[in-house]
Amino acid sequence: MATESSSPPNPPAAGGTPQNSATETVQPANEVKQDAAPQNPKSVFVNSEPIREDQVQNAVKFLSHPKVRDSPVFHRRNFLEKKGLTKEEIDEAFRRVPDPSPSAQPTVTNQVGQGVTTSTIQPTSVSQTPVPIITVPSSASSSMFALARSRFQWYHAVFAVSLLAASGAGTAIWVKKSMIPRLKSWIRWVVMEEKNGDGGITNIKPTLAEEAAAAAKAAAAAASDVAKASQEMMISRYEEKVNMEKFMDLMQMQVKEIRSMGSAIKHLEGRSDKIERTHLVEHGGHSGSITNLKPTYPNGHKPEIDSHSARSSLPPTSADKSAPPHPNSYMDIMAMVQRGERPPNIRDINDQPPNPNQQISNPRLAPRSKPWEGAYQAKTSSRGGFGSALNGEGGSDFGAQNNEASNQVDAQSTVPWWQKKNSRITETEYVEAKPGSTTVVQTNEQPPIQRTWVPPQPPPVAMPEAAEAIRRPKSKKEAEPVSQETSGEGFSAAEVTDELQRITKISESGGEVEEMHSGGQETNGGLLGGLKLSEIEEEPVQSY
Amino acid sequence: MNVSKTPFNGYSVKFSPFYEDRLAVATAQNFGIIGNGRVHVFSLPPTPTGALTEIISFDTADGVYDLAWSESHDSLLIAAVADGSVKLFDTNLPPPQNPLRSFQEHTREVHGVDYNPTRRDSFVTASWDDTVKLWSLDRPASIRTFKEHAYCVYSVAWNPRHADVFASASGDCTVRVWDVREPGSTMIIPGHEAEILYCDWNKYDECLIATSSVDKSIRVWDVRNYRVPIASLNGHGFAVRKVKFSPHHRNLMMSCSYDMTVCMWDFMVEDSLVGRYDHHSEFAIGVDFNVLVEGLVASTGWDQMVFVWQHGTEPRGP
Repeated sequence: MATESSSPPNPPAAGGTPQNSATETVQPANEVKQDAAPQNPKSVFVNSEPIREDQVQNAVKFLSHPKVRDSPVFHRRNFLEKKGLTKEEIDEAFRRVPDPSPSAQPTVTNQVGQGVTTSTIQPTSVSQTPVPIITVPSSASSSMFALARSRFQWYHAVFAVSLLAASGAGTAIWVKKSMIPRLKSWIRWVVMEEKNGDGGITNIKPTLAEEAAAAAKAAAAAASDVAKASQEMMISRYEEKVNMEKFMDLMQMQVKEIRSMGSAIKHLEGRSDKIERTHLVEHGGHSGSITNLKPTYPNGHKPEIDSHSARSSLPPTSADKSAPPHPNSYMDIMAMVQRGERPPNIRDINDQPPNPNQQISNPRLAPRSKPWEGAYQAKTSSRGGFGSALNGEGGSDFGAQNNEASNQVDAQSTVPWWQKKNSRITETEYVEAKPGSTTVVQTNEQPPIQRTWVPPQPPPVAMPEAAEAIRRPKSKKEAEPVSQETSGEGFSAAEVTDELQRITKISESGGEVEEMHSGGQETNGGLLGGLKLSEIEEEPVQSY
Repeated sequence: MNVSKTPFNGYSVKFSPFYEDRLAVATAQNFGIIGNGRVHVFSLPPTPTGALTEIISFDTADGVYDLAWSESHDSLLIAAVADGSVKLFDTNLPPPQNPLRSFQEHTREVHGVDYNPTRRDSFVTASWDDTVKLWSLDRPASIRTFKEHAYCVYSVAWNPRHADVFASASGDCTVRVWDVREPGSTMIIPGHEAEILYCDWNKYDECLIATSSVDKSIRVWDVRNYRVPIASLNGHGFAVRKVKFSPHHRNLMMSCSYDMTVCMWDFMVEDSLVGRYDHHSEFAIGVDFNVLVEGLVASTGWDQMVFVWQHGTEPRGP
């Protein structure tokens, strides 16, 4: 696996702390097994939590909110990320909430959704006729709901208007044609009864004729009335429809404007408020200039500056109302930039590369290992091949320089002041107590030379820093019990010892270290070198 | 102990990984609002007091917000410039022959840069255009662009043990952990309620990462259980601009803040604050540990001062 092959440098990187040893020992085992997920170096930096359903539900509710639907997608994602959702949870929530659909709820709750949706999307114009509207969705299939909301509204409105017009006209016609003639005939019948009381049957016929004539007249009148009324109604309905359409257009335009304003405000709030606005607004001592600045600076950008654009957003300085006091000249410069002036001290500098194809020269020095890399070999393999030829020159040059410099320093030590170890740093785990300043000074004579000189050794060999680490009393306590274990492994320990002897022989000027080594790893007591030796050989041994 | 004044306001200071006595300072004119920039390379004098010696300096058209020394070449440094460019300088060549390269890809200010300390072949840049870009010195264009943050990315940091893993801190209040072999981020840590200005990995425990934020706190997270921070360090009076782990001690950290102080912390101890230096008279913006010399630290700030001292001693000297 590519991931596994790229992580060989990691496992037994001995930082030398007890805390790290646990992870280190687990990692090599996992490299071999390639399955223990939590300790696998790759997956340590990956979310290994399962998807939390409650978080996903909350996210779905959030995303279904109509206001949220109008915000850009990445704003929604960022909000959820800030709430602590993992990528998988956010993706799942987005999957569950389809973008264009008006029914926010999942398809399971279709009936409920329909009821809810109708209430949310009812335009104001059709509120008078709730009956036909509700019948429409119930008759429509769920595919209708997949249509765009606006389309539904348009269709809805037109249908409702036409229905209204038709029903209104029909009612009017019915009223005019049937109700009123009926009323009239009933009145005539009443009158006739009275007349019958007076005149008798003979009167009936003329009354019938009269009635017929009257009825004809009435019918004609009614018809004309009806025609007029229906005409008026049609006209009024038409006008109403037109007005309504206009009204709806206007409403939609306004809604769009408001939405864009809202999103712009949110954008501005998000950007400009948090940025310079905070420190500009809350600056206590310069409130006067600030109140002037704020209204003239609504945006986060300064289009007025022509060539060099001033920083349109600066690092934030305060989360709450207590802003740090900015220097006066800072406020002056901000004010200047606000006005569109350029501060006078700016020069025109051409900082383009004079020769863009210029070769990058070879490095003079080999890279040095970091203190936390310890004596780990594999990491150095890539650097070991850097060319021992470089090392000699660089090392000797630096050594010579340093010796000169150190010779100029006052007498008490030949070491530049910054190399003196300060024993004041005390850690709970790292005991940095130096055994004594004398040994430190003495050994410090050597480091200036050996630090820059990298021995041209093959990978399994420790760097000169290892030799230096020998002198440092790092984690003595763990070295002692461990060293007794390693004494049993005679072969590997001796091998490492030999190599260490070679290194230290070359890098050390004195023979004192060799004596320590020849003493063997059993000699723990007393000899500082012995302890460090066992520590050093401890680290490579762990890697096997 | 050693002090120097720079003509522009300091933004970042970094010790060289090759030379114990060498450091570079990134500065920007007019507090970085508008103006030129300059990269200074200083050398420590042999005496404990006194000014730093300037070896060379490079001018840029716009302010320099951050810089990183190359881990492969002892004389190269990368500068993150406010006009969106990433410039490569060679300290062995005179200024007229510099910069060697200028990569113009970011569309907004480049605010952070970090060189890979394990594989030493690549570096990443963080920009206010919400993206992180991966580069290599031998290529004319970026290798990859990581675009997921919803707001300015303020800093990036490579993991000291895993050559492919890095973290980015952003104004969208999250820290993302990335793997260059993966298409997207592998972890999202909603670390603070306010913008996160800096992140740094623990050098001795590759699963610990520290974040500093506008909410004045520093939090230390374990990526294996990132819902709850291991430690939350309070003590700064204003936003914390940078936080760095010591290369020599597992628990030691250093931070600088807009409250003008540089603080040292031990996050495993109950009372975490182990030291506080208030030598700056303006915002303290940059801090760094010397990787080669234990205990040597440097800081810079908007007061145009650069201080180098041994932790445990007084920066301003006797």
